[in-house]
Amino acid sequence: MNEKETILIIDDELPIRRLLEITLSASGYKVIHSPTGREGLIDAATHHPSLIILDLGLPDADGKEILKKLREWFFKPVIILSVRDSEDEIIAALDNGANDYLTKPFRSGELLARIRATIRSSEKKKDDPVLEFGTLSIDILNHITKKNNEVLKLTSTEFSLLQLLARNQGRVLTHQYILKEIWGYGYLEQTQYLRVFVAQLRKKIEDNPSKPKLLITESGIGYRFGE
Amino acid sequence: MNDTPKIKQISFMTFISKANHYVLSIIVIGFTVLFCFPLSGSQGYHLVSFILLFVVSVLATFMSIGPILLASALSSLVWNFFFIPPHYTLHIESTEDILMFGMFFTIALVNGVLTTRVRKQERLARSREERANALFQLTKELSKASGTSEILHVATQEIKKHFAVDPSFILQDGNNHLPAFDQVQKEADLLSRDDFLMAKWVFEYSQKAGKFTNTLSSHENTCYPLKGSRLNPGVLMVKHTRPPAGDKIIFWNTFLTQISNSLEREFLEELAKKARFLDESDRLYKTLFNSISHELRIPVSTIIGASDTLLNGDHSENTRSALYNEILSASVRLNRLIENLLNMSRLESGRLSVRLDWYDIHDLVNKVTEDLKDEIKPFTLVVEVPEDMPLVWIDFGLMEQVLYNLLYNACQHAPATSDISLNICHRNSELIIEILDRGPGFSEEALRNVFKKFFRVENSKAGGLGLGLSIVKGFIEAHKGSVSVENRKDRGAKFTIRIPSELVNEKIAT
Repeated sequence: MNEKETILIIDDELPIRRLLEITLSASGYKVIHSPTGREGLIDAATHHPSLIILDLGLPDADGKEILKKLREWFFKPVIILSVRDSEDEIIAALDNGANDYLTKPFRSGELLARIRATIRSSEKKKDDPVLEFGTLSIDILNHITKKNNEVLKLTSTEFSLLQLLARNQGRVLTHQYILKEIWGYGYLEQTQYLRVFVAQLRKKIEDNPSKPKLLITESGIGYRFGE
Repeated sequence: MNDTPKIKQISFMTFISKANHYVLSIIVIGFTVLFCFPLSGSQGYHLVSFILLFVVSVLATFMSIGPILLASALSSLVWNFFFIPPHYTLHIESTEDILMFGMFFTIALVNGVLTTRVRKQERLARSREERANALFQLTKELSKASGTSEILHVATQEIKKHFAVDPSFILQDGNNHLPAFDQVQKEADLLSRDDFLMAKWVFEYSQKAGKFTNTLSSHENTCYPLKGSRLNPGVLMVKHTRPPAGDKIIFWNTFLTQISNSLEREFLEELAKKARFLDESDRLYKTLFNSISHELRIPVSTIIGASDTLLNGDHSENTRSALYNEILSASVRLNRLIENLLNMSRLESGRLSVRLDWYDIHDLVNKVTEDLKDEIKPFTLVVEVPEDMPLVWIDFGLMEQVLYNLLYNACQHAPATSDISLNICHRNSELIIEILDRGPGFSEEALRNVFKKFFRVENSKAGGLGLGLSIVKGFIEAHKGSVSVENRKDRGAKFTIRIPSELVNEKIAT
């Protein structure tokens, strides 16, 4: 593990901070933590962390506001912690630039996996003309998608959708964001388009479409491209 | 209903008698005199006196005392003037005729007065009967009415019918206070603040006030307290044009007493209901507390015990990992408990918002089977979804809980290695989900109660609060759907969910 990776935890609950510190330190990360949003912003500016874990329910400020302020100058990944049943908050946070989210209670294995994936995908070169995921390769320049070296026939919408998700691999894209990017502003409510196209794409690119490994559904929130 | 015109008729008749009966009696006597002129020559003036007496008697049957007095006096005078000799003077010559004249006047007077009195008696008797009928009618209608609003409706109708006034009621709030002015005004917006303050006074002192009373008599309206034997239901406000007088006061008071009694009965019933409800919620509260503390204690004890063992003493790798697993599964169990409690409280508070959207049912199945993969491991899960399954219109989060709870239950009760089937299809604009297991099924009693809160199957090996299935029911009903359970013919239980779900009507271009 890279010793230099620093993670900043902004959470008001001491037991959670302590647990995260133990877990993350054991995995080789350097951990800083702040109990309030205000201190979190200062710590982020002074320590330049590689990743921030931000709790949405902070006592001194709305987590979303902290996220907005962070995003004015902080471009490294942010993972949101939230309680269940607050999909609206999670969606708003993701639309405001959060990379991923976890709902409490979460398993530390899950958290570590998300941290690794998020850091890795943020370090990946975004302008790579060919994206490779296992047996799937996407040639963005030439609009050619291959699975097991066989060229797949994708419609242009299918390709745009695949490319959008693949480029943001590991990051959760909300329904609205995807609809806006692929279909435009007039289609923000047309979730059914997204469902139909995701189902079609899965049939073409997944090994087992009913157990998808690439196009992963984040229930009630959006989609994520896995690997 | 047909009593209303009668009131008008009576007042019309009184009016007629007051002004026109005098004129009428003069005219009638005049005509009689004209008619008698030719007779008096041949038959003598004594016959004329009989005819006049007859006419006065007839008039007495429908006229009041004043016109009758006039008719008696007038008829004796004209008899004297026109018929008793010497004619056309009031002078009477013979002593016999003076006597006759005196007797005529007396007979006419007595006749008229007696007849009028008999009629008055009869009228009184009739109005007494009418009032008795009205009261009977009121009591009958009030006893039929259920609920405060119906009673008020009946009372308003009957008061309008018998007193020709439009009453408005202000009832107390159940704690022996009149509600606040704003609230009262919402229901009766004609009520002024002054009226309301008067109503408050009346309610507090249980005395009438307003116009035609001794208190606050400058007010336009009159306010009466509605008095009960154990509590006072409220007050009644009317705008009298005339103060009720005589018999009418008694009638009015009896009316109010009847209405008060009915309202009081309603209020007392409401109080009793409230007391019963409190009892019920108290019982529920106790059940909840008992079962929650019981259910919490098991996983918490496990966690404390296991971590304590881990901290004190040197254990083999196997023991340690077994203890870690115990802690994890106890925590998961705790978490599930909290989830269910939160869901229940969302349902109970009525704050459950359903966010419907188009979803691929496969996503739902994947999510739930992934979350339950450890529980499902000992079984064979058979998922059947038709190839052309359309998108469905559901709340993903709620349906996830529904499916989770049902599959989790199946895993708790089915024997290891048996099949658990999940059949999903879309038929007749309905999403149909069936969950079938090979567990012991349910007893008759359990089939009836299984969706009730805190119901747990007797001797069930699975713990829990008995909330899982009631949450399922609540969430399905939030989708306007239904859930049912039956036993399978050859062992096992079958849950069927039906949720109305139209097809995506728009063709989506690929």
